[in-house]
Amino acid sequence: MKAGPASLWRDRLAFDARAAVLLCAVLAALPLVITGPYAQGIILVSMYFAILSLAWNALAGYTGQFSLAPAAFAMLGGYTTALLDFYWHVPLVLAIPAAVVSTALLGLVLGKLVLNLSGPYLSLTTLAFAEIARVVIGNSHEFTRGDQGMHVATLTESRLAYYYIFLAALVLVLAVLYFMLRGRLGRFMTAVRDDAIGAESRGIDVVRVKMIVFCTSCAICGLAGSLYGTFSQLVSPELGLLQQTGLVLAMVVIGGMGSLTGSVVGALLVYLGSEWLRELGNVQVIVFALLVILFARWVPGGLWSAAVARIGRKQA
Amino acid sequence: MKLRQLATGLACVGATLALPPAFAADPILIGASITQSPPGSVVQGTQVKDGMEILKDMVNAKGGVLGRQIKVLYEDNQGIPEKGRAATEKLISKDKVVALAGGHQSSVCLAEIEVAHRYKVPYVNTNCWSDDVRKRGYPEVFNTSPYNTLVSSSMATTLATMGVKRVVAFAENTDYGIGQAKLTGELLKQKAPNIEYKYETLDRASKDFTAAILPLRANPPDVIVMSMLPPAAYIVMNQVYEQGLAPSSKTILYDGGGLADYPDFWQNVKEGGKYLLSFALYHPAMPQTQLAKDIAAEYKKRTGSDVNRLVLQAADSLHLVIEGIKQAKSTEPDKVGAAMRTMKFESLRGVSNFSTQQGYSFQQWLDIPFVNYELTAEKQPVGQTVLIQAPGQKFDPAKIVRPK
Amino acid sequence: MLRLSLDLLANGLIYGCFYALMAVGLAMIFGVLKIVNFAHGEFFMIGAYTYVLVALNFSVSPWLALPCAAIGGAALGWIVERLLMRPLYAGYASWGFMKDEYAVVVTFGLSLLLVNLVDKVVGPYSYKGPALIETSRFALGPVMLTGQKAIATVVAVFIMIALALFLKKSVWGKQIQAVAQNRLGASLAGIDATRTTSLIFAISGMLAALSGALLAPLVNPSPDVGSFPAIKSYVIVVLGGMGSVWGAMIAALIVGVSEAFFSVYGSYDYRDAFGLAILVLVLLLRPQGLLGQKGRDV
Repeated sequence: MKAGPASLWRDRLAFDARAAVLLCAVLAALPLVITGPYAQGIILVSMYFAILSLAWNALAGYTGQFSLAPAAFAMLGGYTTALLDFYWHVPLVLAIPAAVVSTALLGLVLGKLVLNLSGPYLSLTTLAFAEIARVVIGNSHEFTRGDQGMHVATLTESRLAYYYIFLAALVLVLAVLYFMLRGRLGRFMTAVRDDAIGAESRGIDVVRVKMIVFCTSCAICGLAGSLYGTFSQLVSPELGLLQQTGLVLAMVVIGGMGSLTGSVVGALLVYLGSEWLRELGNVQVIVFALLVILFARWVPGGLWSAAVARIGRKQA
Repeated sequence: MKLRQLATGLACVGATLALPPAFAADPILIGASITQSPPGSVVQGTQVKDGMEILKDMVNAKGGVLGRQIKVLYEDNQGIPEKGRAATEKLISKDKVVALAGGHQSSVCLAEIEVAHRYKVPYVNTNCWSDDVRKRGYPEVFNTSPYNTLVSSSMATTLATMGVKRVVAFAENTDYGIGQAKLTGELLKQKAPNIEYKYETLDRASKDFTAAILPLRANPPDVIVMSMLPPAAYIVMNQVYEQGLAPSSKTILYDGGGLADYPDFWQNVKEGGKYLLSFALYHPAMPQTQLAKDIAAEYKKRTGSDVNRLVLQAADSLHLVIEGIKQAKSTEPDKVGAAMRTMKFESLRGVSNFSTQQGYSFQQWLDIPFVNYELTAEKQPVGQTVLIQAPGQKFDPAKIVRPK
Repeated sequence: MLRLSLDLLANGLIYGCFYALMAVGLAMIFGVLKIVNFAHGEFFMIGAYTYVLVALNFSVSPWLALPCAAIGGAALGWIVERLLMRPLYAGYASWGFMKDEYAVVVTFGLSLLLVNLVDKVVGPYSYKGPALIETSRFALGPVMLTGQKAIATVVAVFIMIALALFLKKSVWGKQIQAVAQNRLGASLAGIDATRTTSLIFAISGMLAALSGALLAPLVNPSPDVGSFPAIKSYVIVVLGGMGSVWGAMIAALIVGVSEAFFSVYGSYDYRDAFGLAILVLVLLLRPQGLLGQKGRDV
């Protein structure tokens, strides 16, 4: 996880990328085995969370900007599309990219706000931003119909088609992040995370790095939220609950912060796990919460890194 | 090499998802998406579940339906529309339920009926008051729940009859609260245009409403209407009482949310609940079937509390589904739905059928009986309250008891 | 107009005192560990429930239930610190970078666990806590109060004064201050930093629990009652200056009063957004808050 010499960094990234490609291939092939729309729907939603996890990992894990707003930006993206569709009947081909643009801009605003903050100060500011967004949307009954949520048009009625739409989005996001990390920007990001003042003194434009990452991360969250809104045909303020952000954080921490694949694995495991826990009925949430605590506390570095390390040890 | 092992592991995970759903050949499965954990109203969800369980046990004890036992599958939607959508989807596509019942929160209902409509599975609306649920006009949705137009027009008539001058309403910031408050205001303007009416939106997640209450102290209104649900509703009542605002000799507190018969009502409002005037959907003096009385006795036995309208509404919804299955002599969702659309329905509170008029009355049981009563002593059971409007009678303002 | 303003002022101050109890504990934790604690509201909730359940089920006087709530909160704080918080500073190398993330995830899980545990074990119905004094409403000048509000405020103020004295005068209090200022330096000076941190968590839990118990008759606790004071506590701690106990107390009163006035003269719906906006403004314009020290960021 530490930024080492350039070649080591690229090697790790390359391994990460290969693992990610393999994972996506498995996901692409799954519908051959899993044909029921309900099960496909579950994996689809976990892909939504995987996209959010990747976005947050890029911002927090790689750049050290520990934001508590990913779910809020997903909500904002979803509402952008919903409002455009509801009031002006804008076709989704335009309304979805509009969500990406609007959240990118809002991401810039947030980035500017927290430019000089770090640690818990930064977290609290992003938390305040997220909650303000949620309260405003939830209370503006005239525009957003409040807690009832807004109906959204859909791209297609086919569950299978949506599965591949989300998979395509996941692949796109992975590609974007991979190329960001591969170049100098990637090493600048980790430099900002490890020692911002030192980075500045070495000539890195810290402001620019932060702004780019904030913008990208929030735009990705907005894309995820917008797609999800069209999938479930409903956006409501609960998309942006702090609880949802907590879920994303849990996914990244449990999966592993040091890698892209780790985030995806974490998202899949945590979400599929929570669905599987439904079988337990009443105590579902309690067991889930216990598992989150146990994993966070006693599996440091995340499951993916632990798994990779173990397999590495077996090889050696 | 490492990757291959990882791939195998992932494939195994994928394979487990492909396992076929467990077969449930024998019992008839009915789905219920209710709230069983925060942030939704777990209190409501619990009462809905209790009502359905009692009826289910009674039916099964008599041999079930079509020779098979009934099983109700509960899913927790946490009061969140998106989770309700997912829960409904699971019940329909994975568990293959015959029909759904138990929906008790309007915003969640609105999300769930979309799923029911897509899969064409009957959905009985137990307690979602919002007119929007009806206005969508989906043939799969059967509304045995009270509806905002009914409640609001009754409240507006009551207010007009009371001959007051100024009314302030506290509405929770949800579809139900704002919907009821707005509609009551509009209908009131038609019936009694000289009555001054305004409503305040309150955040149902908040715990302190003194800021909304204090400005009224200088010039208290004649009636404070509450369109709120617990737990915020209880806090509002307590704080209104603590500030000496209502109930007082000048100001009446009037509840449009059916609070008074919740099992935790008295433990939460204590002396603040005295003199509450309540629009109510259940009173022991109302005509009921024997089945309703049996359910009341069983509920008292199981929980120690007197039965209330939500428990009966829940049992009613399940009752409707069971009657539909009996009439259709089948468990195919579309046949059951077709039967439910046309049959005359002996609900727990009277015989009815569903209206076919579009709008708020679409597939709504229109003549839901109601009363208005007033609580006159602490911990008073509903049966001993003062009936200001007896079933089928007019509202009689002379009967209102005011504090000194 | 004047009467309304007095009403708002009185209510704002009263609620401010209760918020202060909660926020002070958070300020202490912040000062020492610099983490965001998602579960702080649940200490409040546990305190409220302990108070209500002890008073109702064991038929004891509410005055006895109050210290029970305090003990419950302290115990919970201690346990949480021992089991979950050690990785933050006890030299776990692999968590070095992920301190903040770890704290958030673990406290998020804890919050979820506590809320749902209470919901399943105790039940979802809310309870109006028994009042410390059965006096109903009475008028103090133009302002209407209840016995509970008046007494609870006195108790809250008393606790805060006791805390301030404890921190300033007692040995443990001074150790706490030392660890808060400079952990390494304090342990070099011979102070057991780990045990002191446990103490801080215990005190923080106790204060939040007492806040919950005192507010129980006013807010009718239900399992999710912890979320509303939690966010307010953050606003207060930031406004007061992270780590500053006095700052938290003063800021709590300011927040209580200004919220009351804003919701009447501004907008009621966006009252919560108002508090959060204060948070953002303070962090942007004066991150050290009212009484914090400059240059305290991580």
